[in-house]
Amino acid sequence: MRLDPLTLKKIRRFRSIKRGYYSWLLFGLMLLLAFFAELWINNRALLVYYEGQIYFPTYGTMMPGNTFGLEYAYETNYRDLQKKFQQEAGDNFVIMPLVPYNAFEMDLRETEFPPFPPSWKDRHYLGTDTIGRDMVARLVYGFRICIIFSLLLLVVTFAIGIALGCLMGYWGGKFDLFFQRLIEIWSSVPFLYIIMIIASIVVPSLTILVLIYVVFGWMGMTWYMRTTTYKEKARDYVMAAKALGASNTRIIFHHILPNAVSLIVTFVPFSVAGGISGLTALDYLGFGLPPPTPSWGELLQQGTNNLHAVWIVASTVTALVVVMVSITFIGEAVREGFDPKLHSTFE
Amino acid sequence: MTSYFIRRLLLVIPTFLGITLVVFTITRLVPGGPIERIIAQARQMNMSEGNTSGGSSLQDDSPLSPDQIEELKKFYGFDKPILISYLDWLGKILVLDLGVSTRYYDPVWEIIKDKLPVSAYYGIVTTILTYLVCIPLGVLKAIKHKSFIDSTSSIIVLIGYALPGFIVAIILFVWPAAQWDWFPLGGFISEDFEDLTLAEQIWDVIHHSVLPLIAYMIGGFATMTFLMKNTLMDHLASDYIRTAIAKGLSFRSAVFKHAFRNSLIPLATHFGNNISLFLAGSFLIEKVFNIDGLGLLGFESLVERDYPIVLGVLVITSILGLLGNILSDFCVALVDPRVKFD
Repeated sequence: MRLDPLTLKKIRRFRSIKRGYYSWLLFGLMLLLAFFAELWINNRALLVYYEGQIYFPTYGTMMPGNTFGLEYAYETNYRDLQKKFQQEAGDNFVIMPLVPYNAFEMDLRETEFPPFPPSWKDRHYLGTDTIGRDMVARLVYGFRICIIFSLLLLVVTFAIGIALGCLMGYWGGKFDLFFQRLIEIWSSVPFLYIIMIIASIVVPSLTILVLIYVVFGWMGMTWYMRTTTYKEKARDYVMAAKALGASNTRIIFHHILPNAVSLIVTFVPFSVAGGISGLTALDYLGFGLPPPTPSWGELLQQGTNNLHAVWIVASTVTALVVVMVSITFIGEAVREGFDPKLHSTFE
Repeated sequence: MTSYFIRRLLLVIPTFLGITLVVFTITRLVPGGPIERIIAQARQMNMSEGNTSGGSSLQDDSPLSPDQIEELKKFYGFDKPILISYLDWLGKILVLDLGVSTRYYDPVWEIIKDKLPVSAYYGIVTTILTYLVCIPLGVLKAIKHKSFIDSTSSIIVLIGYALPGFIVAIILFVWPAAQWDWFPLGGFISEDFEDLTLAEQIWDVIHHSVLPLIAYMIGGFATMTFLMKNTLMDHLASDYIRTAIAKGLSFRSAVFKHAFRNSLIPLATHFGNNISLFLAGSFLIEKVFNIDGLGLLGFESLVERDYPIVLGVLVITSILGLLGNILSDFCVALVDPRVKFD
């Protein structure tokens, strides 16, 4: 992709803002870790060496226990397998991921009841939640779902907002007026109420939640895009293009949109942050994704109800603070880089 | 100008109708309303009594006869089409009758009236405190642009902006209130409030409300502070300030007599929006701190499918929100004589 010098300059300006740039690196790392979470948080082994053969169970279908000389045909318990191989002290070995639990299994013990506090020895680095699921696994997989939700929401709302807003601004007239009233009514509808009413009848899946959020959340972007198009349309270069005989499509796609989009970029980080906090709030109230989906909101709910197990709420809140603050710093730097407001200071 | 505001006020009516119609329709379309709840309750009663009579309740799926259900439908107005019963409901609203709660069988208005003072208290105090802190902070940041104070306070304000209010509420609830025991665990007043002296009562309310107030304020904080800072800086760089100083005015009086007054205009546009916050509050924060306000009432009624209360809360908050928008415009016109609406 060839970037024009103006965009390059904007990116350079973004990178020169250290706080935002380092937040971006941190956030990128978190994204990467979350999307390859199977490789470091999993109850499946990374690698099993058994009788001269090497197995990689992480991705792909499950391997029954009898593959490795165990007596059962359901999925191998690699943690037990590792202990068994260690006791046998043969050539066989198992390499487990850093956190040898997945987000759904409950670590049940005979003598104690969960929640278990953080323990290096059990490899529950942040402890477990109230029914014994590993906190690190819940947090990372929950983050992944949250991010997927936010990105889906972002793409759909921006697509609708840009298309509709652009038409409203460009066509104006009755079309504009109709959607203006619609937006005014629609944005006054208390949308958390509606989501909660709907979520209480249908068990919401990720797609349904995104859809509901889109239905009640497309207005902001549309409104902004309308204003921008409106302003751009009145400028001389559009008139010049028209005078040269450019068609409406050409004016919109080649002239107005490129100018508007550079401003829209500045909304992306804040929209992602909004998605994360929205989903977390819904899950916290119990109207989000159904259990046992790992989610931060559910962990917050657990944590505030079990204040003796303070590690639950502490690690969730820390994760949220790190993510939200880094997104905000990114957003601030993107805005500064792409839509700079230079202040002449008083001397 | 007057005609503009009259037009705006008239436009509130169709918008209000639109909002209530949308919510009313949704509440009517979803299952699990009061009738279903009564059926479930009756079934439960049958079950607990029916241990002796065996499977009589199992034979008949519904514990109520069709006639009884019809009667219930009539009682709750479910026997008519949506539009007709919406008009019925609307007619009652016009004479300020919000209906009767399907849970408590009390008039909705009485229930809402009980919660109003709590919400209004938080709304008003939040608004006042936000202005009291943000305006001086914004001025300070503008004058000391790019100094140490400016950049550190920017970071703090931005972190506050990054966190959703209810996360801040949870943090404040878990540590200062629950772990360290500095503040009471939620609620609006203590249980022995009646027995306290006046001074103790005031202290009690303050003690209870410190944490929720921080959670309420923190969101609007960044917007306000940066708005104040940026507009003030724009004004400080403009020619009329330069002229004023060239003519011998001190920097201080140039800032406070000229630039500051002009910079308050954009803040005024935000003022009306606070009105809806006055009362609606944030039910998330109210839920975390278990504050018995309007937000929590709406939320609980929604969970319990007590739709008359849900709609009642909606009527009040949406009217206030719409009036708040107009009030914002009015404030702008008030402080800025250049603004002309037509």
